[in-house]
Amino acid sequence: SAAALKNQPPLFLRKNCALAHLVKGSFKGVVQQPKYADLNEWLSINTFEFFNLVNMFYGVVTDFCTINECPTMSAGPGTEYTWTDTQRKTIKLAAPQYIDYVLSQIQTTLDDERMFPTKAGSEFPKDIRATLCVIYRHLFRVLAHIYWSHYVELLNLKIEGHVNSVFAHFISFAKEFDLLDRKDMAPMADLILFYEQQGIIVS
Amino acid sequence: GFPVVDDDEQFVRSAAEYPRATVEKAAVAKLKLESFYKDLMGQCIERNQRRKDLENRLLTESGSSEERKQRQLQNLGAKESSFMRLRRTKLSVNDFQTVKVIGRGAFGEVRLVQKRDTGKIFAMKILRKNEMIKKDQLAHVRAERDVLAESDSMWVVQLYFSFQDSRNLYLIMEFLPGGDLMTMLIKYDIFPEDVTRFYMAECVLALEDVHRLGFIHRDIKPDNILIDKDGHIKLSDFGLSTGFHRQHDSSYYQKLLENIHKEHPDESAATTVAGGATPTDAGTGNPSQQPIETLRREITLTLSSKEKLATWKKNRRQLAYSTVGTPDYIAPEIFLQQGYGKACDWWSLGAIMFECLVGYPPFCSENTHETYRKIMHWRESLVFPDDVRLSPDSVHLIRSLLCDQQHRLGRNGAWELKQHPFFSGVDWASLRTHTRPPWIPPLSSITDTSHFPTDEIDQNTSPFDNPVAASTESEPQKDLAFVGYTYKRFDMLTRKNAF
Ligand SMILES: Nc1ncnc2c1ncn2[C@@H]1O[C@H](COP(=O)(O)OP(=O)(O)OP(=O)(O)O)[C@@H](O)[C@H]1O
Repeated sequence: SAAALKNQPPLFLRKNCALAHLVKGSFKGVVQQPKYADLNEWLSINTFEFFNLVNMFYGVVTDFCTINECPTMSAGPGTEYTWTDTQRKTIKLAAPQYIDYVLSQIQTTLDDERMFPTKAGSEFPKDIRATLCVIYRHLFRVLAHIYWSHYVELLNLKIEGHVNSVFAHFISFAKEFDLLDRKDMAPMADLILFYEQQGIIVS
Repeated sequence: GFPVVDDDEQFVRSAAEYPRATVEKAAVAKLKLESFYKDLMGQCIERNQRRKDLENRLLTESGSSEERKQRQLQNLGAKESSFMRLRRTKLSVNDFQTVKVIGRGAFGEVRLVQKRDTGKIFAMKILRKNEMIKKDQLAHVRAERDVLAESDSMWVVQLYFSFQDSRNLYLIMEFLPGGDLMTMLIKYDIFPEDVTRFYMAECVLALEDVHRLGFIHRDIKPDNILIDKDGHIKLSDFGLSTGFHRQHDSSYYQKLLENIHKEHPDESAATTVAGGATPTDAGTGNPSQQPIETLRREITLTLSSKEKLATWKKNRRQLAYSTVGTPDYIAPEIFLQQGYGKACDWWSLGAIMFECLVGYPPFCSENTHETYRKIMHWRESLVFPDDVRLSPDSVHLIRSLLCDQQHRLGRNGAWELKQHPFFSGVDWASLRTHTRPPWIPPLSSITDTSHFPTDEIDQNTSPFDNPVAASTESEPQKDLAFVGYTYKRFDMLTRKNAF
């Protein structure tokens, strides 16, 4: 595919592809914490929604993300993610397995009443930020994999504008609340820079 | 890295080789995302508005201390925060305990329920997805949810929450304990003129409000006119009402599904052709609806209004529960399918008013086919029985409503009806707030269902009682139709402990 050739930019960096959006304009207004509202509630509801959206998009390409097609969890040349198991051992997994692990882990966390309380009166734990950063790092990796390995499918399904919007929204939110490290965002740095130049992502 | 490049090279898209399930999943995802962003923007705007409203109010409010103002802002923040929390909370049918089944409709039933943790009372409408897909009611449901959800009208039954499982859709609404106008008519046969005036006047205001919101009800009938605890009315069941949202259009879903089929003719061909090749029963009518007793028609003609009333009442509930529904109140232009406007609701009101005063609707017949025919030929079929006394004003109003749409009263707005002599003396501005309704439902408790025909509804064998399998494979075809259905309303939180 185009992305595999070293000297050709990946499809998602073509201008007409990158400019395809469902939602027009900057995400600044919708990511900012509403005045007077609780920060943890705001972070939580948005995290829930990003998880659902990423899950949904991965569901669309899941038929193409097989052990044969994606034997490693990659996001472009030079970026390969490994899974750390419960014994802190790093293991290489095929993308579908890695993503399955990641998404189930996030689901479990989000459903955990101690981490993300839903009952009236129960409080958030103190270390919610650390938990959120892990979730955002993982969601980012799934998105990056979709961009680098399944963009052709997105184009064929005419859904790239939708994915672009969610990506820009996600990055805007993560930047607003400092939930992703700069180095973690490296695989998508070019697209992020482009969206910043376009005024879609405003930090 | 790579800079973003301008590239003329065209990418030729084709999903023809893709599995049909993938194409469907993509279609669902797109629709869901559109719905997601529409909601997101809406919530953002509403939230800002609530804040601005409060800030402005506090600014102009003299005499209250800085501390009090601060507390009010904090209160708003707390409400916004708990709304966010509520949106993360997954409600399911198990969070509600059924007290009684209080109503049946074409696609489901309505229950009085109690939320298990808080003990709050609600009406829960359950709709079966399968049935609705079979009967092409997808747009129908969408419309109901939107009207109930978007309206802030005091004349429309409030929707608080909606959710779904693999089998059903659930609408959690405010419970109106007074029952409906159909039940009242069954009980009292007819209303005196001043009682009729009250209900009709409230209906005029209700429909005016619904029209203002951009909706046409199209299916207003006594079953959909509900009575609240104070005796005032509210409208429910916006199944057929058409807003100006494209999602309400049946053909919108049809097209979506067809596009999927087109790109995947291999598998879909069989089902599409089979569906289209079924011999249509248009013209001849569905055999099951055909009158068995054609002979009875002659007798019907000679029935006195008393006897007619008796037959009408005998069949009334059955009619309400059937999927065909009753066409008795539907305007002729709707059957003609050549376009209609808000005026069709005024026709329905005319038919309901006739029923309130006479005891049966003006075009009632032994079977729906005959009713259609009579409505189409209303010039000949609209007759006022000799043995019922009606005032000239009421006959005139009914005749001004049951006529062709070019001449119908109300075609230029509800004010036309308000000025009719039948309504003289009605205080329109304070009808809902200061006029004492003719009947205030006596209630023994918050779960009193005595104004509903609960004896006539089998309480033991509800088709909705079978538990739903925990995780059923989701079917994109089905999902597509119900996107954006899950709904949570801010308002319920603004009322103290509402949920
Ligand atoms: N919010 C409510 N509070 C109290 N009773 C209700 C409420 N909503 C509906 N009901 C009762 O349930 C009956 C059926 O409701 P509704 O007409 O909405 O059902 P439906 O299934 O949509 O029927 P149809 O589409 O055939 O009109 C009503 O006639 C009324 O008696």
